[in-house]
Amino acid sequence: MINLQPYENPQYFFYLLIGLLPIIIGMLYQKRFRWYESLFSLVFLFLIFDGSKISQGIAIIGYTVYETLVTWWYCHYRTKENSKNKTGVFILAVFLAILPLIFVKFTPLFVDGKASIFGFLGISYLTFKVAGMIMEMRDGSIKEFHLVKFLQFLLFFPTISSGPIDRYRRFIKDYDRVPTQEQYLGLLQKGVHNIMLGFFYKFVLGYFFGTVLLPNIEHLAMLSRHNFLGLSWPLVGVMYTYSMYLFFDFAGYSLFAVGISYMMGIETPINFNKPFLSWNIKEFWNRWHMTLSFWFRDYIYMRFVFFMMKHKIIKSRITLANLGYLVLFLIMGIWHGETWFYIVYGIFHASVMILTDAWIRYKRKHKGWFPSNKFTHVMSVVLTFHVVCFSFLIFSGFLNQLWFGIR
Amino acid sequence: MKLGRKLWQIFGPLIVAAVAILIIMLLPANSRPVSKDTLYKASNSLSANVLKGEELKNQAFSSGNYVPFIGSSELSRIDPFHPSVLAEKYDRGYTPFLLGAPGTQSLTHFFSVQGMSQSLKHKKAVVIISPQWFVRRGARPNMFGFYYSPLQATSFLEGAKDNETDRYAAYRLLQMPSGKSDTVVHSALLQVAAGLPLTDFQKFYLKNIKGNILKNQDNFFSRFSIRDRNNAITSGEERLPSDYNFTVLDDLATQLGKGETKSNDFEIKDSFYKRQLKPVEAKLQNSQTHFNYEFGPEYSDFQLLLSEFNRLHMKVLFVIPPVNQRWADYTGLPNTTLQNFDRKITYQLRSQGFNNIRDMSADGAQDYFMQDTIHLGWRGWLDMDQSVRPFLKHTTVKSIHYKMDDHFYTKSWQQAPASSVPDLIANSEANQ
Repeated sequence: MINLQPYENPQYFFYLLIGLLPIIIGMLYQKRFRWYESLFSLVFLFLIFDGSKISQGIAIIGYTVYETLVTWWYCHYRTKENSKNKTGVFILAVFLAILPLIFVKFTPLFVDGKASIFGFLGISYLTFKVAGMIMEMRDGSIKEFHLVKFLQFLLFFPTISSGPIDRYRRFIKDYDRVPTQEQYLGLLQKGVHNIMLGFFYKFVLGYFFGTVLLPNIEHLAMLSRHNFLGLSWPLVGVMYTYSMYLFFDFAGYSLFAVGISYMMGIETPINFNKPFLSWNIKEFWNRWHMTLSFWFRDYIYMRFVFFMMKHKIIKSRITLANLGYLVLFLIMGIWHGETWFYIVYGIFHASVMILTDAWIRYKRKHKGWFPSNKFTHVMSVVLTFHVVCFSFLIFSGFLNQLWFGIR
Repeated sequence: MKLGRKLWQIFGPLIVAAVAILIIMLLPANSRPVSKDTLYKASNSLSANVLKGEELKNQAFSSGNYVPFIGSSELSRIDPFHPSVLAEKYDRGYTPFLLGAPGTQSLTHFFSVQGMSQSLKHKKAVVIISPQWFVRRGARPNMFGFYYSPLQATSFLEGAKDNETDRYAAYRLLQMPSGKSDTVVHSALLQVAAGLPLTDFQKFYLKNIKGNILKNQDNFFSRFSIRDRNNAITSGEERLPSDYNFTVLDDLATQLGKGETKSNDFEIKDSFYKRQLKPVEAKLQNSQTHFNYEFGPEYSDFQLLLSEFNRLHMKVLFVIPPVNQRWADYTGLPNTTLQNFDRKITYQLRSQGFNNIRDMSADGAQDYFMQDTIHLGWRGWLDMDQSVRPFLKHTTVKSIHYKMDDHFYTKSWQQAPASSVPDLIANSEANQ
């Protein structure tokens, strides 16, 4: 049985290109073969979840049916005449939508570190999409439930395994229209460019940092694990090497997903925008894994802050914002996995966000005290880079291995 | 027309690049002879890329002069009495090809040896078995991954048969993250572990696509970036007298050992002591009272290596090194830990007909025998040479027969306490 994991190796793109050819040719002549697009997506979805991954395949089918019913039900509730739009029903709908993810994420915690049988590659990202839709139905921005479009959006295969996380209304706008030849040639060009850059990121730089360099440096760092806290120069090396690996591997992957989407005439949003040139941590989160951080910002942070303000639970805006950061990053940490290092990673980022806000307020209060020029800009970029790399060392879980010998 | 030109602008470079890569990688893999100097450098480099490759090792062993010395971290302790130095200085008819580095254990060596099968047939080899490999949980997955060779994995799968050895090897590889790094390799391993034949597609992919590409990579690249340790060998040679006389050499070893272990009472080399032990010395006192080398998957992994020696009709000298007794006393390592290991491994070897064993496990208290805590040095190396030298008078064997027993792949063997195993150590001395 042939099983193909998305973008795992350069050969995958060869198979993809063959499948994409009819779509490309059709689009060049302003035609969308929707039935073929669906077939193409289904075939490649099948190849992800067949063979030894068949249990995941069954899980994703069950999941899709379930989420379809939840979304349909809530949409029905919201669009019937005189819909009461009760908060309780909304909370129930969101809870039902994220229930499978909660279940899958918490299973390893209770069942001896074993992964849930209901899990499958990409469950988080699909759940983010559904939860986003339900919140927009609550707001009334999504007014109808269209089964085929819903499935196309949910199971859009280029982004299925790890995003970028698209938004329903944006996706459908692209899906419904056929670009002109000139527009499509532009998309093709950008798509190919993204994929080639992705090759360089993932298969050259990511490989170099992650497969060639990282094991060697981890090896050296492990040899010094008897030092105080395992501190050693190789550990510093692990920190930077892992950070580089994480970026190039994930950014490369995201470029693939965006590039393939473009070739299918869907302008999936980008996920990375030179994050290591950020001058503070807030800017960093606007440039790193952007679709995820925007999702957390719009659907968790903003909603949390609005809720608290509306119900006047916390008056101070500063306290509220800080609490919002803590909630956001704690949830993000727990979502990565219920281990101490993901949670510490979340708390660390929340703390840096809070400190950054305090610093910005302080600077505003004392205008003219601090110079602002090219030099200070470079300094802040360098400082932010190191803070971020340190957070990735926590995130990597290597400290768990170094200190407790657990992998 | 305009459309065609635009499309060519977009896809042209892509097509040209893809075709160029395909041609280079899918060219039939031809071995290109490596210079003698490079082979020699590779033989004592201990570099991971040498161990993971096949081309350099195959060329070395086909040439006839090289003998595999399989071990782990002790191989990097190159002092004047190291096997590579002695062989070079006294013009022995062989050159040791050192295979192993800190962290290599039986499973890594199994894949490495089976990868160069043809060139090792009817040859001799020396294996230094570290008791420290035999910790309860066996090889660490990340260490194994560090030396994992996709090339050797494809060679293994190509030749895999439905027998206990290959099923167990596949099963072990599947327990390591490395076994899941390629989906076709992963599914092929699942099949071999289940005793099923590979599909035609898998065979084609492993041999003609993946195997070919990896062989080409090995041929193109593994001859570069080989660590050069020739200086250590030459400077070792310079300290040795021109004639091989055991008593003279033994005195010299004592003298050199004494000179390099002044900083501590454990007779541990100063540089090692200062860097690795001194900062944490107090913490390590009585830290090893619970150490145990009696159980675990390593015993079955080691059986894989033995079955490979059987398949290739190789005659092998097994060396069981001791630990530094002074250090063991300090850390509280019980003598029974090593004795139990010794009894179990000796039974596994002897009961199957592997009778060339140099058991030094009781020699840890001898002066300047160990270079540090667990690694042979000065007099230890020289002592080992007393077995190696006669063993390697000839480097080939005509015929040899072993009685392999699949019981050694079972959990029940892995869990068997040493006390339940017949004691065959006594015979060792007689047969030496």
